[in-house]
Amino acid sequence: MTSFTLKPVGWRPRLTPIRAETATPAELAALEACPPAQRSGAYARTLAHDPGSLGERGALFSIVMYAKGGLPTADREYATAVVSMVNGCVYCTSVHARRFVDATGKPEAMQAVFDGGFSAETDPRRAAISAFTEAMTRDPQAMTAAELAPLRAAGLDDLEVLDLIHSIAMFANANRLMLSLGDPLVPK
Amino acid sequence: MSPDTDLIEEILGLAPGSPLALLRAQRPEARQHAQGAFRELLRPGDPGGVSLAERAALALRVALREGDPVLAGRFRALVDAADPAIVAAEDLAGPAGDGRLAVLFRHADILATDPAGCGQAEIAALTALGLTPRDIVAITQLVSFVPYQIRLLAGLRLLQQEQAA
Repeated sequence: MTSFTLKPVGWRPRLTPIRAETATPAELAALEACPPAQRSGAYARTLAHDPGSLGERGALFSIVMYAKGGLPTADREYATAVVSMVNGCVYCTSVHARRFVDATGKPEAMQAVFDGGFSAETDPRRAAISAFTEAMTRDPQAMTAAELAPLRAAGLDDLEVLDLIHSIAMFANANRLMLSLGDPLVPK
Repeated sequence: MSPDTDLIEEILGLAPGSPLALLRAQRPEARQHAQGAFRELLRPGDPGGVSLAERAALALRVALREGDPVLAGRFRALVDAADPAIVAAEDLAGPAGDGRLAVLFRHADILATDPAGCGQAEIAALTALGLTPRDIVAITQLVSFVPYQIRLLAGLRLLQQEQAA
């Protein structure tokens, strides 16, 4: 897992993004529904070619990642970094690993997983989250209710489990968009 | 499907007021925008260069690849099951060649099973079909959204099993 990094990674689109100056009202409205930090980026402006799907999908992304209450931010960011590692999305891994570090102040915890894999996670709550997240990312149909037990043992309530499922599902989506519509630009 | 129907709740048979329906009601926007994305991708008012039958066929293809026959059945039921795109989507071994459906399904197959394997060549192949950037983004959003639905359904089924135990 050595290609993953906590350094910022760039992203180069494979289609020419929409430009704000020449965007249609529908394209601008769809960009407005995205999280503020994403609106002006190449990724959102690439997705803006299809405003209908960007508007709904951007709003879904915002609520899944930033809804109040439920699963703490650090856990959502950790889970989405795990999904991104399983799917091989270096860009998304960098973004969400850094947000995990921002929320926890623990770069060494993330780096340990980059270096040693998910089995290197020593925190019981994060270990339960990463096991569930990896299984659901790789083969959701093979899972059984028994795989919820470690999450329950780690203290996750129903809303936290729902938020975790939403986060995992969202990055099954996000990684595929990032990986297909552009290339990561990894720092030397 | 009526405008108030939620695809996920319909598939899971969630009655209003059931524990899982009440849990989902704590995240109303997630429910609303997942249904909205489904509508915009599968049933858009203006489908552009990708027909409603082709959209249903692409979603069907991903659901079959991801092993969810119930969700696959919902996509199949959106259009005429005898439509050539639907018929072709059912055969996971095909189609070969560089025809339109072959290229579309290869894009869906790669994104479903090996998303990191998608490169510039796959996007160029879509462009070579005469698809616009809007069409390519719509197709990519569509085949990337079904994996969201697949995992949401899988996770909610686990919670259903847990409650039933």
